[in-house]
Amino acid sequence: MSLEQYQADMGMCCRCSACKFIPMQKIKGSSYSYVCPSIARYNFHAYSGGGRINIGSAALKNGMNYTDKLLDVVYNCQMCGGCDTSCKYAMDMEVLDPIYEFRIKCIEDGKTNPALEKVMANLRKNGAMVAGKGERGAWAKGLGLKNVTKDKVDVLFHVGCQTSFNPDMWKLAKATANILQKAGVNFGITGDAETCCGSRAYQMGYREDFLKQAKKYMAIVKKAGVKTIVTDCADCYHALNVLYDKYELKGDIEVMHISQYIAQLIEKGKLKLKKKVNLAVTYHDPCRLGRLGEPWIKWNGKRKQSDRFIFDPPKPYRRGVNGIYEPPRDVIKAIPGIKFTEMTRIKEYSWCCGAGGGVTDSNPEFATWTGQQRIDEAISTGAEALVTACPWCEKTFNDAIKASGSNIKIYDIVELVEKAL
Amino acid sequence: MALSKDVYKEFEDVVGAENICSDPAIMPAYYSTEFAAVILPKDTAEVQALVKLCNKHKLMFRPICTGWSGMFPKNIVLFDLRRMNHIIEINEKNMYAVVEPYVISAELQAELMKRGLNFCIKGAGTNCSAMLRGHGHMDQTTSGDDRNHLAIEWVTPEGDLVKSGSLGSTDDWFCGDGPGPSLRAILTSAVPPGVTPGVFTKAAVKLYHWPGPEKFPVVGHSPKYTLSEIPANMMARYYSFPSVEKMWNAELKLGEGEICYELMGFNAAMVAANITTCNEEDEAMFNRLSKEVQGPGFFVIIGGNSAADFAYKKKVLEKIVKDNDGKSLKTVEDPEIEGILLCQCIRISASIRETFRPGGAFNSIPIMGQRDLTIKWAIGAGKAKLPLIKSGHIVDDGGAFFGWGVEQGHLGKTEIFCKFDPTNEVAKKAVEGWQKQETRRAFTERYFASTLSMDPDVGPALCNYDQWWKKLVHALDPNGVSPEGGSLV
Repeated sequence: MSLEQYQADMGMCCRCSACKFIPMQKIKGSSYSYVCPSIARYNFHAYSGGGRINIGSAALKNGMNYTDKLLDVVYNCQMCGGCDTSCKYAMDMEVLDPIYEFRIKCIEDGKTNPALEKVMANLRKNGAMVAGKGERGAWAKGLGLKNVTKDKVDVLFHVGCQTSFNPDMWKLAKATANILQKAGVNFGITGDAETCCGSRAYQMGYREDFLKQAKKYMAIVKKAGVKTIVTDCADCYHALNVLYDKYELKGDIEVMHISQYIAQLIEKGKLKLKKKVNLAVTYHDPCRLGRLGEPWIKWNGKRKQSDRFIFDPPKPYRRGVNGIYEPPRDVIKAIPGIKFTEMTRIKEYSWCCGAGGGVTDSNPEFATWTGQQRIDEAISTGAEALVTACPWCEKTFNDAIKASGSNIKIYDIVELVEKAL
Repeated sequence: MALSKDVYKEFEDVVGAENICSDPAIMPAYYSTEFAAVILPKDTAEVQALVKLCNKHKLMFRPICTGWSGMFPKNIVLFDLRRMNHIIEINEKNMYAVVEPYVISAELQAELMKRGLNFCIKGAGTNCSAMLRGHGHMDQTTSGDDRNHLAIEWVTPEGDLVKSGSLGSTDDWFCGDGPGPSLRAILTSAVPPGVTPGVFTKAAVKLYHWPGPEKFPVVGHSPKYTLSEIPANMMARYYSFPSVEKMWNAELKLGEGEICYELMGFNAAMVAANITTCNEEDEAMFNRLSKEVQGPGFFVIIGGNSAADFAYKKKVLEKIVKDNDGKSLKTVEDPEIEGILLCQCIRISASIRETFRPGGAFNSIPIMGQRDLTIKWAIGAGKAKLPLIKSGHIVDDGGAFFGWGVEQGHLGKTEIFCKFDPTNEVAKKAVEGWQKQETRRAFTERYFASTLSMDPDVGPALCNYDQWWKKLVHALDPNGVSPEGGSLV
């Protein structure tokens, strides 16, 4: 794949600015109308989806014109895909894919970001996206969990870098393990042998590193002989379920986010949520579980230009609408005592937490700013707590709360479920 | 031409380092030209200071809102008004709203609907500036063009601040013509080419009663949002007629009856584009609708203030349609399709589907004038598209035109689209040729004179308006820093 492949898509941009906003029919007023954090924060049109692909189009025509400002534009984007969904309400064109290819081209040309380079150095050395101290499986010490490298299990619980190496997030892994145990699931972890799935390397534009990491990861999974992977990280879910499929690495492995798995356990009567949790909450759709979490669609066809262009065979566009939206909501609503309210920007046009695309590393101030916007939106619903389903979101929201002094609480969905057990 | 360091510093001192950029690498985001700089002013005072600097250094400038269209000469300073995005006031009692340039129509409309109000939204869509002047779906209710701009705050091409209408004498925004300087002919008239020189920094727009819900009950997912139910006392229909004459007569009667919230002269191709989610579906739906319609037609929305009011409007509508042998399109009677169109055509959210999706680009001849004359011209202009369709240069819409009655229907807007592939130079030239030929025919056959064209005969035929306009612009802009062309979308 390359930028050239998206020449026709990029040429379709009419600079209508739909990519900056949530779909017009969903705008409820002057607040919370934007979907793109980058244009909302940095204002120049270049920071919007349309601006980015018009720059891409010019680059194909005139060559890459690397400047500090261009790289500032490139790396100040969470790659959240909001632009892609909003554009595709009306247009048949790819937006996020060429933005990805542009970033990948920058990396390949050595036009990297120093902070991201540091993160990648750690990945290459330690197999982790987080420069943590100690061992990956430290969170599980004393829990007596099975390990897929030596035990036969039905389900592999993939923990991910953020949860494994950030002691503040160990509670999520422990809650997940507790829930699976209570439901009687025969599961195991990889412990210290777990390696990064490569998701965030891909988001940062390091495709080759992602591929290396993905191959390593799948070798471990194949050796373990498991058929189902459950993860509580939206980034990992996206890599394992979508990117691995895109690059034909997934095979027949079933990948589920923990919210899907819990929803199934509740439906089958294997998990009972009995304790009341008296809390008014709202839910944040992580980008890589929601719009970017929709399954990869394999399509090999051609764009045919007659009087209007069409695809042969018809191209089934990924428009962000088949992500994991209902299971987390079903789980939250199944918890006794919970009062649930939706925010304005939800599901396919959800606002990003700020963590994507390596922005937490390349520009922490922007990540926190983005998270604060979401916190404000959550507060506007009257919620006492914002629930999410990804440790990266939880961390960014907590950073935003620290910066703003807000007293809203942040929970991962597994924390709430654990309270209700 | 890059700005010198000293000049750049002067601009930077006005807006701060974060809000100015002269790096050529980001310029293609805006347009394929070389800008001297892009600057993001945050308020009127900054705009004034920037304009004065442009005059001092004899630099041309141009403002843009969301950035859809415009003409951008090389080396100009671009004012991107993204930071000027505040709704200043919604005055329910006096029925106006005051906005900055980067408030988009969708934002203002959503706030208004909560208050039982609405405003004139241009056909380009709610993704464009709420300040944009023009025509759209709701013209029967809201009229269009200069009817809707009230008082305006304007930074002249020399950087002076002018407050028009009531704002000029009372600090109130309720009227564009006084007490205070009107300046209507300069500020909001339809005098082309292009827009008023200088920068509109705030404008009051007229508000109208909205009989519909506070918000539409939108359900489903993009790209197919539907309504969970048709709001009470609302209905959307498409009617086709056996002849243009009958359609026009029905349109006129409906206008005089003042019963339509919206009357939009969609053709079958535009209905198809609106209700489908991709080009393949669009093509199939167009073929289906082409068989279903009996001739030209229009789309109607009626909205009642009560059940009785709705019943009355519906009865009148059905009688007028029947009297003119109109036929309701069954496809649109399907509640799902009706809901899609009802919401999309009030919230003006599918214009891009009609214009850009099929080919990637479009060109048109937009006309505002006496409706009966423009209809007659449009029939010929539509037929003139047929050779281009046959040769595959433009999207097949059956040679359709569209237009609609404004206010009571004697005044009207007519527009004809040619949708094509912008990378196909032959198609592009063919469309430009059609545009020139049909615009010229409109003039020579005395239907109207398009002031958008460069036809040298038009000015002399209209009292040399173009010469007077040039003199006026020169007086306002003695340094020639505010070039003509384009629209503030």
